[in-house]
Amino acid sequence: MAKVFIFPATSLILSDMVERWGHEALGAATGIRERIQTASLDSPPLQMTPEDPKKGLKYAAVEVPCGVRGRMALYGPLIEEADAAIIINDADLSFGCMGCARTNELVMFMIRQRKGLPVLDIKYPETDDEGFAFVSQIKEFLAGLGGESDD
Amino acid sequence: MKESEYIPTYVGTITKYVFIDSPDTTPQTLLIRAYEISDGLMIKETCFGLQVTGVPEKVKKLITELRTVDPAHIFVKDRGFLPGDPRRCRANLGGARPGYYGHEFESGLFRYISHGLEELEKNTAPTVTRLGKKRLDEGKLPPNRLLEIIRNEEA
Amino acid sequence: MTDQPVRIAQLSCGPEHSGVQKEIYDAAAAVNAEMFFPDVTLTDIRRSYDAFGLEARSGDLKLAIGRAMALVEGKVEADAVFIATCFRCAEAAIVRNELRHYIHEHSDLPVVSYSFTERTTSGTLLTRMEALTTIARRRALLAREEQKGTTMGVDSGSATTKAVIMRDNEIIGTGWLPTTEVLNSANGAIEAALKEAGLEMADIEAFGTTGYGRYLVGEKLGADLIQEELTVNSKGAVYLADRQHGEATVIDIGGMDNKAISVQDGIPGTFTMGGICAGASGRFLEMTAKRIGVDITELGPIAMKGISKTVPMNSYCIVFGTQSLVNALAEGSSREDVAAAACRSVAEQVFEQQLQEVDIKEPVIMVGGTSLIEGLVHEMGDLLQTEILVPHHSQYIGAVGSALLASGFIEEK
Repeated sequence: MAKVFIFPATSLILSDMVERWGHEALGAATGIRERIQTASLDSPPLQMTPEDPKKGLKYAAVEVPCGVRGRMALYGPLIEEADAAIIINDADLSFGCMGCARTNELVMFMIRQRKGLPVLDIKYPETDDEGFAFVSQIKEFLAGLGGESDD
Repeated sequence: MKESEYIPTYVGTITKYVFIDSPDTTPQTLLIRAYEISDGLMIKETCFGLQVTGVPEKVKKLITELRTVDPAHIFVKDRGFLPGDPRRCRANLGGARPGYYGHEFESGLFRYISHGLEELEKNTAPTVTRLGKKRLDEGKLPPNRLLEIIRNEEA
Repeated sequence: MTDQPVRIAQLSCGPEHSGVQKEIYDAAAAVNAEMFFPDVTLTDIRRSYDAFGLEARSGDLKLAIGRAMALVEGKVEADAVFIATCFRCAEAAIVRNELRHYIHEHSDLPVVSYSFTERTTSGTLLTRMEALTTIARRRALLAREEQKGTTMGVDSGSATTKAVIMRDNEIIGTGWLPTTEVLNSANGAIEAALKEAGLEMADIEAFGTTGYGRYLVGEKLGADLIQEELTVNSKGAVYLADRQHGEATVIDIGGMDNKAISVQDGIPGTFTMGGICAGASGRFLEMTAKRIGVDITELGPIAMKGISKTVPMNSYCIVFGTQSLVNALAEGSSREDVAAAACRSVAEQVFEQQLQEVDIKEPVIMVGGTSLIEGLVHEMGDLLQTEILVPHHSQYIGAVGSALLASGFIEEK
């Protein structure tokens, strides 16, 4: 079983695809769950505190807005932990944890900077044929990562 | 202002959204099936399907079982919060949490994904063009081709 | 407070991921307001995004645009709007300003916009939230145009404490002290004002407090009205300048922070309040006066004799500003030119940092202690290309506004 970082990290379809074929999806839910299930200062809604933008300094300099650094504190460790990544390149309507375009640029860059990390680039399907291309490419990519599969 | 401590609940559990988008299976059918095999898991009905919370192994087992009901039309997503968490609940926020719009967008694509999954199952679909990353100059007219057009126009 | 909570619509990008959302919630709760996120659908977001025409790339900014349009179109009801985005984000700054402008132009909703860092606390946001809720909740109170009976206003500011006694629409007593120990300074200023008016505390029928020390002073002395300085000062400004109807812009450069308020019929519409950097505050002018060896009251006339542009000085930071000042004097610049340059520098900082966040509508009224420094008023007028109004008693603006609004409480007694 491989740990696959998904982009958008909030993608329902990617979360499904990765786990459907026996792997673990690393996305926004992974990072948020960790915070929601850890005792700390009360900081609703996401239990992200001013410490997060500080942790984000590992990934972005201090002149980068706090919202970018906070989000990077969420995604940076997941990208470091990942065995592979799937990127949907036209994810223009993503909100919340994926709602900042600058963070998303940096997240994608960080994925591509990790030498040897298998990455599948894909786009959202707009037709039945593209739907088939989408699922078959993902399935093939995931099968190449080893581990269990439903085949 | 006031700093209060946050004490988490249900530590060690995971929560999954289960979406159903099928001509054959209703959310209710899926819900009944989920209750039948719930094995002590927390199950919550929603308009799109259900949410399930519990220890990871049991949740995975239930999901695997549920998927068999309608494999190409059931979609499962990981969730950081527990169902009905007041911090994410629409009733408290006044409007939907931001993630909801992402679901709304992607659920509009379920039909293509379902089609793909069905074709994959049949294993009969022809190979199609691969979807990839668009390059910066993709779709742009090469300069030579432009010159050619100008020359043809002038001729 | 038994009032219904004021419902403030939040349009934002980033506070949840910066650990700031709780601070927003806390500031709102402290003034009996609640934040909410206007409910829209994905279709609304797509439609609004296209209709608004500003091609932001960030999803949360697209969402903010959709929510703003839902508010303006009346699909979602709110009492006020709070726009918040990350400090130093250019994309968000563009969207924030355009949305602020759009809502102000197309609705009656009071709006405040703010750019936060992870260090933003609920304390910083409190005055802004209080002003938003006051405008939403106390329109009747703010509609008061005349002072009645015998009332007092106390402005416990960061640098000075002012007290004013009013009777039947006239100022009959004033008191002024530098703020040291908040309560003592307030008592001293009140005593002086009462003495001048020839009255005793028992003669005061109602009184209000404003400024940083408003809660402490107001609660200790039993004020009828404890009110933040944004609404009080703008009310006081249009009252003293006799511009209670129509549009106006109020600028108050204070000792610790500055306020710029866009006013319509005496009620603030959009406002900004800043105070991160002391180079844009009255403090810098105090330091300038000290350095060139004059009293602060002499700085204005001296500055009027100088030519500001001959001395390079434009710093948001009081330390850098002072360096420019020292260098200029060392290089032989006249103290008149240095004084003028210091006024120019403060005016430019306020212009660059704050006046961009409100819509400047004439007349522009300057109030607060710094409005007495005529060099500063001159430089500000030059920057804004307008004749600036400085009403009488402008240094007592908060106290006058409080005394005026407090007369609304006489009838209740």
